Amino acid sequence: MSAPLLKVSGLTKAFRHKTGFFARPTSQLAVNSIDLELAPHERIGVVGESGSGKSTLGRLLLGLTEPTEGDVWFEGVNHKERRERDWKAFRMRTALVQQNPLSALNPQMTVGQQIAEGLLVHHVCNRNFAYERAAAMLERVGLPGAMMNRYPHQMSGGQRQRVVIARALILDPRLVVFDEAVSALDVSVQAQVVALLRSLWQELDLAYVFITHDLRIVRHLVDRIAVMYLGRVVEMGDIRSVYAWPRHPYTRALLASVPSLDPAIRNIEPPIKGERDASKVSTGCAFRSRCPFAIDRCAIETPELRHVGGQQVACHLADELPKSIASPGGTLSPRTAVAQEMAL
Amino acid sequence: MSTLLTVRDLVVEVPARNIKIIDGINFSLDSGQTLGLVGESGCGKSMTCYAVADMLPRGIARIGGSVTFEQDAGGGRATPKIAMIFQDPTSSLNPVHTIGYYLETALYRHQGLKGMDARMEAVRLLERVGIDRAASRLRAYPHQFSGGMNQRVMIAHALAAKPQLLIADEPTTALDVTMQAQILHLLEELKAETGMALMIVSHDLGVIARLADRAAVMYCGKIVETAPVAELLQRPAHPYARALIDCMPSIDPQDLDPPVPIPGSVPLLDSLPEGCHFHPRCLRASVECSAHFPASAAVGLAHEASCYHPVAA
Repeated sequence: MSAPLLKVSGLTKAFRHKTGFFARPTSQLAVNSIDLELAPHERIGVVGESGSGKSTLGRLLLGLTEPTEGDVWFEGVNHKERRERDWKAFRMRTALVQQNPLSALNPQMTVGQQIAEGLLVHHVCNRNFAYERAAAMLERVGLPGAMMNRYPHQMSGGQRQRVVIARALILDPRLVVFDEAVSALDVSVQAQVVALLRSLWQELDLAYVFITHDLRIVRHLVDRIAVMYLGRVVEMGDIRSVYAWPRHPYTRALLASVPSLDPAIRNIEPPIKGERDASKVSTGCAFRSRCPFAIDRCAIETPELRHVGGQQVACHLADELPKSIASPGGTLSPRTAVAQEMAL
Repeated sequence: MSTLLTVRDLVVEVPARNIKIIDGINFSLDSGQTLGLVGESGCGKSMTCYAVADMLPRGIARIGGSVTFEQDAGGGRATPKIAMIFQDPTSSLNPVHTIGYYLETALYRHQGLKGMDARMEAVRLLERVGIDRAASRLRAYPHQFSGGMNQRVMIAHALAAKPQLLIADEPTTALDVTMQAQILHLLEELKAETGMALMIVSHDLGVIARLADRAAVMYCGKIVETAPVAELLQRPAHPYARALIDCMPSIDPQDLDPPVPIPGSVPLLDSLPEGCHFHPRCLRASVECSAHFPASAAVGLAHEASCYHPVAA
């Protein structure tokens, strides 16, 4: 395997906040000791509920937020050792695409100006050539070159997101972080953007991190997936093996929560009750209060990521849980499934 | 089962600009039944709901057709109670009032409950929709709740009216999948308990598949296909319905095909194409499609579609 494009070790970000005026500030770990590697031209998905720290992780990777602890290396250089000039070079080789294209775009600039801006800011080429390249990029993302002179408000949501993608790719970056890049779009437009991203990835020497809460869309966009829960990666592995046999109870619950297109599957109990609660997490597994399988050990010992099957899982019970309940919409309750498995 | 709601040739317009938002739609809903409305954004799903609830925004008016409700049993006519829940629960709640105030005023208005009676009923409703420690939560404000909890409060508020029809406009779109699964299950339970009819709008066919008995596919202000939900998902007749199903990404480990996009985008309402509005995006379109809008025709049992070239089953 080639040298990693991006390497993350022990990455942690704490946010301090106060619950009242006189309250002692408490700190909450948005991202908690994450290790990750990304090879050139690799695609990884980061999924989890809102508040799981996915977006913070994306910002840490791009150096937009300073980590409390841990290191990020991009092309072998640690973010902490970068100087002003190095950061500028880093910005040329990375890009971020966010959820809401209307707020990401400048309403007072034409689409063409915004796509060409990166080339001009980094003095890559002169103005005329920059506009030529912007027009070519606009056509590459499936919009007519005539749209160069439009303003963002004159376009539809799908067209705007294409513009944001064009702007992100104009400098031919090695790494792009897509943060909920298709979540605000209609299903039909979503499918168009998915097809675009798939073909762009095949053509370009590009690695990306795709952050989303949509488990359906991510499957068609990445090779590897990391599932996050309250700042920690609880499961990571090849997308096909994770979806075929999710090993962590949280991954199982997420996949089982996706509504099926089969109308025969109804009246099923929600796979997990309640909501994430960061305040209760001190020791042990953060998911234990919602986990149907939790045992005493989960409250005492924090599970570390370890290899189980083809993937990495942070769960004490990962190799004991049966596969049978993994299928979405399975009616077997987890406890009976475990009981059956044990009886066998 | 008796018919609760009948909508005939409903036309909704922006009179100032002469734009038809809803162009002659027909459907009916039996009591206790669930109707799902699907389609891309801007196709008139939400406006249909507003028209049924008689709460169209200012500047938009119903200019034709009828929306009639029928009461069962006694045969007398009265306006049935309709309640509505929306996509973004946190912005639908008034931030300066407590959850308790919000529920108790609704209980007073709809059931005449006051004081301790109203408070106890509010606690019961909150517990019913799955909020624990309900009594202490009455003093909470919407910003102290998560989106999922606020959607539960909205549902409790809707239940205070003891509605015969609940209209849910994208009720789970803004929520996480795990919360979506919980809210969908809650709606299933409440439907069975109260026997209310449900109109659910979603662009997610999975949500429709889970809740609806019948589904209507809307495109550019018209219903282009209506069928029992299983029939629609397995044997869609209209190419638009087929395309909507094909662009849903699947999580089935065996199904590796990426979603198939629908070419083009929804046309603007002031520049609708002639004939069938879908024909510029349709692979099956022929000359007649651009000339006349196809009439709705039966393609199966309780299954109608407006298309000259329906997809073969």
